[in-house]
Amino acid sequence: MEYVGEHLWAANLGRGLTALAFTMAILSTVAYYLRGDDWKKLGRIAFRMHAISLFGLIGTLFFIMANHYFEFDYVWKHTSLDLPARYLFSAFWEGQEGSFLLWMFWNAVLGYILTYSTKSFEGPVVGVFAAVQAFLVSMILGVFVGDTHIGYSPFILVRELQDNIGLPWTQFSDYLTRFPNFADGSGLNPLLQNYWMTIHPPTLFLGFASTLVPFSYAIAGLLRQDYKSWINNALIWSFFSVGVLGVGILMGGAWAYEALSFGGFWAWDPVENTSLVPWLTMAAGAHLLLVQRNKGGVITSALFMLILTFLLVLYSTFLTRSGVLGDSSVHAFVDLGLSGQLLIYLLFFTIGSIALLLYRYKKLPKKEKEDRMDSREFWMFIGALTLLISGLQITLSTSYPVFNKLFGPEGFINLYDQDKVLSDPIEHYNAIQVPFAIIIVILIGVGQFLSYHRTSAVIFFKRQILTLVLTTVLTSLSAWALNMWNPMYILLLWSSYYAIIGNLEFLTRWAKGNWNVSGSTVAHVGFGLIIAGALVSNANKDVISQNKTFIHEEFPANENLLIHRGDTVQMGEYWVSWTGQEEEGYYLNYILEFFEEKDEKLVSAFDLKPRIQLNELMGNVAEPSTKHFIGRDIYTHVTYADLRTIEEKGEEEWKNEFDLELSQGESHFLYGKYQVQLDTMVVEAPGRSESGFDYAVLGAGLKVTTMEDSVFKVMPIYAVQGDEAKHVDAEIESLGLKFRFNRINYETNKPVITASEHIEAEEPFILVKAEVFPWINMLWLGSILMAMGTVIAMVTRIRRS
Amino acid sequence: MKNSQIAIIIAIAVLIGYTIVRLGNSSTYSNFSDALTLNGGKTTVIGYLDLEESMDFNPQTVQFAFTAKDKNGNSSRVIYNQPKPQDFERSEEITMTGYATDSAFIATDILMKCPSKYNEQNEVDSDKIYK
Repeated sequence: MEYVGEHLWAANLGRGLTALAFTMAILSTVAYYLRGDDWKKLGRIAFRMHAISLFGLIGTLFFIMANHYFEFDYVWKHTSLDLPARYLFSAFWEGQEGSFLLWMFWNAVLGYILTYSTKSFEGPVVGVFAAVQAFLVSMILGVFVGDTHIGYSPFILVRELQDNIGLPWTQFSDYLTRFPNFADGSGLNPLLQNYWMTIHPPTLFLGFASTLVPFSYAIAGLLRQDYKSWINNALIWSFFSVGVLGVGILMGGAWAYEALSFGGFWAWDPVENTSLVPWLTMAAGAHLLLVQRNKGGVITSALFMLILTFLLVLYSTFLTRSGVLGDSSVHAFVDLGLSGQLLIYLLFFTIGSIALLLYRYKKLPKKEKEDRMDSREFWMFIGALTLLISGLQITLSTSYPVFNKLFGPEGFINLYDQDKVLSDPIEHYNAIQVPFAIIIVILIGVGQFLSYHRTSAVIFFKRQILTLVLTTVLTSLSAWALNMWNPMYILLLWSSYYAIIGNLEFLTRWAKGNWNVSGSTVAHVGFGLIIAGALVSNANKDVISQNKTFIHEEFPANENLLIHRGDTVQMGEYWVSWTGQEEEGYYLNYILEFFEEKDEKLVSAFDLKPRIQLNELMGNVAEPSTKHFIGRDIYTHVTYADLRTIEEKGEEEWKNEFDLELSQGESHFLYGKYQVQLDTMVVEAPGRSESGFDYAVLGAGLKVTTMEDSVFKVMPIYAVQGDEAKHVDAEIESLGLKFRFNRINYETNKPVITASEHIEAEEPFILVKAEVFPWINMLWLGSILMAMGTVIAMVTRIRRS
Repeated sequence: MKNSQIAIIIAIAVLIGYTIVRLGNSSTYSNFSDALTLNGGKTTVIGYLDLEESMDFNPQTVQFAFTAKDKNGNSSRVIYNQPKPQDFERSEEITMTGYATDSAFIATDILMKCPSKYNEQNEVDSDKIYK
């Protein structure tokens, strides 16, 4: 059957290019493996063809997404007609297929560069790239071998999905126009409609992709038994990787801080952890390469670390994409059912590279002489080891879901009967990682005062007297100013200040701005600032939206403040008023006006607009709003807002019924706002009626005085005839008040008047949580310095070599 | 013995020791009845919301109470001293970390699983098409 309106050419082009990219990657791997000049040339051509077809396939996917060809499943799931063009990139990598493509894109770019720059190492280095690419392209192949599918193609049509094959609607050749479902896609998750989501994933994936370069050099070195000539190239790429991956991770933190409402930039979520760990080991590997180049003797550890880093990237891919994390992560990918394929990918490279390392282990050059304890290389080695242990600890704790799958109640080897889980992950990781961080930052500081081979003790101490004094003074001042007395935190603060000041002093006094060392010192100052900023802003985070409902001060219920519209409440040193709300696209913005007290008067200081994203697809999400000052941030978000309409609430229109029993002249203070007085009683009782029954009509003249002294007079009526009663209610519309003359209390002989309040008369309210993050700008400044330092270091190294 | 080897051995010993300690210490997933036997110890219960029972949120005291059923079908009142999470009614599964008391399970942390995130609910539904 011919279907009307489908763009089959795009499907064919996309799938054709996928197949071509796959075969070219395999061809390139094989050709490079066979060696010889002709084979090498073939391998190179094949890799470049692979890269070009990959770029073509990415272009095709972009094209169909930009043009909204909704017959494609990927386009339908991730875009919609109203999606702003600037979010097309975010939509592209929202799904697993697209993010695999992003990763492959960077691998192809880096591999392409390496076909020019590696020279004699091109064969094994680019060969490893081609093999990795073959595995990755297989994830988006979308072909069936028997009943098992290999990969998921982003070019599959909705009608070709397995669940849809044979469904009645696929029998209509004009299904695209016949069924309104195809008129528009389901769109990009609004959570990802954020500029950080446009730049964070590509940076992070470039970081992931770049770990492959040192890995390939390590494999190449092992294959060729050459442990020298590639070190310098690998070193530059390792620092590139450390810089890019670090920035990518921090951008993720910035996104979380700006757009998510968990209150911070880091939550020790498995997805965050598994991207941090490769960074830790890559930093370790890069520093070991540095020792190897300057001094030698650590090639085994360096090779191990570079290989491990890439394997950890693969493990991270497996964890976040196979669905194994399930309950324990809030932002793992949707499971596509690729776990088998991902496991093969992980195992192939793990077994292959570890086997190769073990096979060559005996012949690896060893240290002739032991490092001295006063040498720089010894302490760099200890630092690398600390980074490794820190990374392994995070990996182990993040792997609980994996252990549960292996050894849990339904595991392969049943070791325990209940799945294990970390009960308080944040506290767990903080407690263990803080000591590691202390060691690392101290070593960053110490390292600058140590020399390779050996260091004279006199020089070592003489050079850092000023640093030690300054660090101690500054730490005491900070601890006093921040009122931070946890000894572990003070130690961490002292050591990160030590790293910062030590490196600054080294750069200005001893290195005198020498470009050769300034890259590393700037990066290290940045790292120290990141640790200090993370510590101070987190440990001294202050919840200012305190209420006093419960006595226990840190009770979570006390950290949310209820604000009625128009009301002004105190938050820390500010007074805050909720002045209104506005709709803006997907968002409902709540306008909070902050006032400062000046000369006993309230002066408007700034507005914040925390908002709620009205997300039909994913549920409504709160987004914070933050006021940035140099020394601190005021971070607010709406933790509760009733978004339902009256009908949705299913409540009565009139509520808060209250019985007033008044004698004439008596008054009552109602709802805390109104003075209600029984002014007059009118009684009409004509005695007998025609039908022979008694009836009476009673009216209660009420005088209602508001707080603003406006006076309203109303008269609810009560008519009785025998045992039947009728009421004529009196309403004051402008106040949303209603009075019913309900009955007469025959014991007291007083009229009973029931007051009720209209639901809209009740002031709406929101719950707000506001926190102060002190000195979080140290963290962002540190991130920028670390990135800058890495760039300087790379440029100087490239120039020198 | 070389310094570096000593360092490696110490590091590995620390890691192994840590792992053993942690595996013993970590809490397990449990159910409401087992949680009671822990005498206030922290645990994690996976369950789902019982929509038949009332859900009460008091914004003045910021207390949210609901009834959940665990996987064995035991139900318990759950008290959460935080604002009611957005779209709580839509949750398919709730992971509650906290401790059990005689009257209720006190949750300190709640993670919800909503159907939209995990199911590819945007597949074209043939029932809808024929409407």
